Amino acid sequence: MKANLKLFRYETEENLKIAIFQIRSNKIRSFLTALGVIIGIVSITMMGTAINSIDLGFEKSLSMLGYDVIYVQKTSWATMGEWWRYRNRPDLKTGYAEQINRIIADNPDSELEIAVPQISTYQAMASYRDRVLEQVFSLGTNEDYLQTASGDLAAGRFFTPGEAAGSDMVCVVGDDIASGLFPGENPLDKKITLKNRKFRIVGVFRKQGKFLGLFSFDNQIIMPLGAFEKVYGKNMFITIRVKIKNEKHVTEAKEELLGLMRRIRRIPPGKEENFSINEQRAFKSQLDPIKNGIAAAGIFITGMSLFVGAIGIMNITFVSVKERTREIGLRKALGAKRRTILLQFLIESVMICLIGGIVGLVTALLITILIEKVMPDFPVRFSFGLVLASLAVSVLTGVVSGLAPAVNASKLDPADSLRYE
Amino acid sequence: MNPVIINMESLCRHYEMGEQTVRALDNITIEFLRNDYAAIMGPSGSGKSTLMNIIGCLDTPTSGIYELNGRNVAEMDDDELATVRNREIGFVFQTFNLLSRLNCLKNVELPLIYAGVPPEERHERAENVLRSVGLGERLTHKPSELSGGQIQRVAIARALVNKPSIILADEPTGNLDTATSHEIMEMFGTLSEAGNTIILITHEEDIARFTRRIIRLRDGRIESDEGR
Repeated sequence: MKANLKLFRYETEENLKIAIFQIRSNKIRSFLTALGVIIGIVSITMMGTAINSIDLGFEKSLSMLGYDVIYVQKTSWATMGEWWRYRNRPDLKTGYAEQINRIIADNPDSELEIAVPQISTYQAMASYRDRVLEQVFSLGTNEDYLQTASGDLAAGRFFTPGEAAGSDMVCVVGDDIASGLFPGENPLDKKITLKNRKFRIVGVFRKQGKFLGLFSFDNQIIMPLGAFEKVYGKNMFITIRVKIKNEKHVTEAKEELLGLMRRIRRIPPGKEENFSINEQRAFKSQLDPIKNGIAAAGIFITGMSLFVGAIGIMNITFVSVKERTREIGLRKALGAKRRTILLQFLIESVMICLIGGIVGLVTALLITILIEKVMPDFPVRFSFGLVLASLAVSVLTGVVSGLAPAVNASKLDPADSLRYE
Repeated sequence: MNPVIINMESLCRHYEMGEQTVRALDNITIEFLRNDYAAIMGPSGSGKSTLMNIIGCLDTPTSGIYELNGRNVAEMDDDELATVRNREIGFVFQTFNLLSRLNCLKNVELPLIYAGVPPEERHERAENVLRSVGLGERLTHKPSELSGGQIQRVAIARALVNKPSIILADEPTGNLDTATSHEIMEMFGTLSEAGNTIILITHEEDIARFTRRIIRLRDGRIESDEGR
């Protein structure tokens, strides 16, 4: 057994030397063959990086919603587009937040921490002197809002309980509003106009970016609930934001909130509820299939390019076997076994693939760095797992494409091969 | 009397060529003893190459017995045959068949790799055997830097390096001029005197005359077998 292992080692060393020699003495041929693998690996890693990046952007967006916040709304996020199912539901009331808070205050085992009312409109218009911003997201809430939302203040402060209770005309604005209405100026304590009402800016949010590229958290104006109702009335879209104590217990928290809301709305058992409880996972369940579809299609298409590369290697290995028929015959005459010859050609094709894979990876890495330089906003992630996967794929390609020619070579008849011209 | 190294009984090798069966070897019965120095002769198509391939375990007989050192080779599989070739047989070819990219030492070491000999020992043995064929000064030369006679001596060194039972030479002087041919044949003579068993194939009478036994083939049969 030990002698066998030794023999195997010596044979493999010899085979490695042959492979290195062959690749070095056929530089152009080896390069062209490896090029197929390089292109394949570049496209696969770029695709993998793109999918990773989509994931990353997606996670970032979801984290804006908060993993520990659930939302009571008239409609459900999980079945977006089926608006007719919710049309006849009664609107929510901002007062529910207070009712919920009272109930959870009496229950120390509650999974819920705090409920915050929110009333909002996408159709707001804000102006300062001659500058106007349309399609602003205007939002009325109370002083506890920040507990249920992501985002820090870049300047100023959030409004106080006193201002909230007094429905004072104060507001906190997002970064886009601040830079849009006050380019080069300090927006704090300036007064902006919303539907002929003047609001004093008391705080500015730090830039957050867009949610799934659709909705910007930087385009918000947040004000006390009472102030909002004075400007826009009460018939706007209402959300109860509920922060939970432990994000691992989302399911239990949702159950509890569902019970609470049914109680508040007095829905008899057995009857379907006329509200929805939403959380960021609903987006995930909607978008995951799309994301996976893109990933599968992308990997398949880019995989084709690697397949073409593999065919190139198979082809060149067949040529290489043909060219070295006499050498194969000689080696067999001198005592090389089938396995030795088989490995000789497998090692060669794997080596070409591995070199191609490494060059491809480096190329892909450079492209990624370039993209990061040119588009800093575009989230790119080049993961270690991707590197390992690419190298594994390269080796696999080498084995798959080298196998048929190598088996061919190992089965050559030594007497015929020695006579081969 | 020397022990029998090769024993062939009613050995046949047939090839199917379409409808026709070619009897390349037809009912060959022959023995070779240790320290034999024999030449196999015959016109082309007489079956001498086929016999050579079978003796060298590069091919197996269609029927009959071939015992090499008492083991029936006819029933071995490819890998067993490879081991037998490695241990028992040293090949010398008409076209030398050295690997041009390797120097003399590395060429001679080749059979030892497949025998599982460690690198240091490989090197030492190859060097010794190259010295014994008079190429001690040419160890790191590549075949392209050597003359035809020197190349064939490297090939002989390669055949000797694993101490085989038989040295099998297929037209070893076919690509050499007369003077060099005689030089090589003298070397075979020396090796024979040192106790090696040598079988060579040739169609040249003056080359065959160097040996002690001449076997003539015709149409796949032994025509004559003369010891001298």
